[in-house]
Amino acid sequence: MTTNIQEDKIELVREVIDGDGLARYVRAGKDGATVTFDGFVRNESHGRATSYLEYEAYEAMAITKMNKIVAEIHEKFAIHRVAMVHRLGRLEIGETSVFIAVSAPHRGAAFDACRFAIDTLKRTVPIWKKEYFADGAVWADGELPPTPPSAKTAS
Amino acid sequence: MVQVSTTVQVRVLFFGRLRELIGVAEEGVDLPVGTTLAQVFEKYAERFPKLAGFRSSMVVSRNQEFAAWDTRVVAGDEIAFLPPVSGG
Repeated sequence: MTTNIQEDKIELVREVIDGDGLARYVRAGKDGATVTFDGFVRNESHGRATSYLEYEAYEAMAITKMNKIVAEIHEKFAIHRVAMVHRLGRLEIGETSVFIAVSAPHRGAAFDACRFAIDTLKRTVPIWKKEYFADGAVWADGELPPTPPSAKTAS
Repeated sequence: MVQVSTTVQVRVLFFGRLRELIGVAEEGVDLPVGTTLAQVFEKYAERFPKLAGFRSSMVVSRNQEFAAWDTRVVAGDEIAFLPPVSGG
């Protein structure tokens, strides 16, 4: 677990995610809104019935990247506190794989920050999902994170 | 006389379908000084020919930051080969 000055909660877990608890956690007296994103396991993929999913992560780097996203939304948006939790291991249909909660004095910033956070997580955090079906398993199509084109020009 | 080392030791990690394909999750390797990340990959592609076709659909990280393929390794680096990410 990593905690920063706003007492954000940024975690990778292997147990059930308590979304209601996280939504309560980010609220404080000066806030007027909380926006949450609950990502959970769909029962099908490209028309095939999914049995269950397995998630794995490059854990140290994933936590670093999640911290960066949270730092970035604090810079970009007038928000208060963030919870960002991703689950790893085997997940059944309907179980939450990722939960993000953002509190803010006003709703606009909370909506924008939550959307930015999940979109960026899906593109840049090293986590992988394998989809299991009745007759086999496949690694889910993913997104290639942006990388520096050359070490000579990168800072 | 100061002994100048001509190799560097690094850790190399594979994840997701790449790990599954070659059956290696993590190992330590000695590499010549000046080796680039692209050359590290080529060494593994020689050892595991099935890996070669994945070069254009993966990224590489050095010390937990996405890195350019022409980055040169330094002793103690943690190098990871990463398939397209699919969290969330």
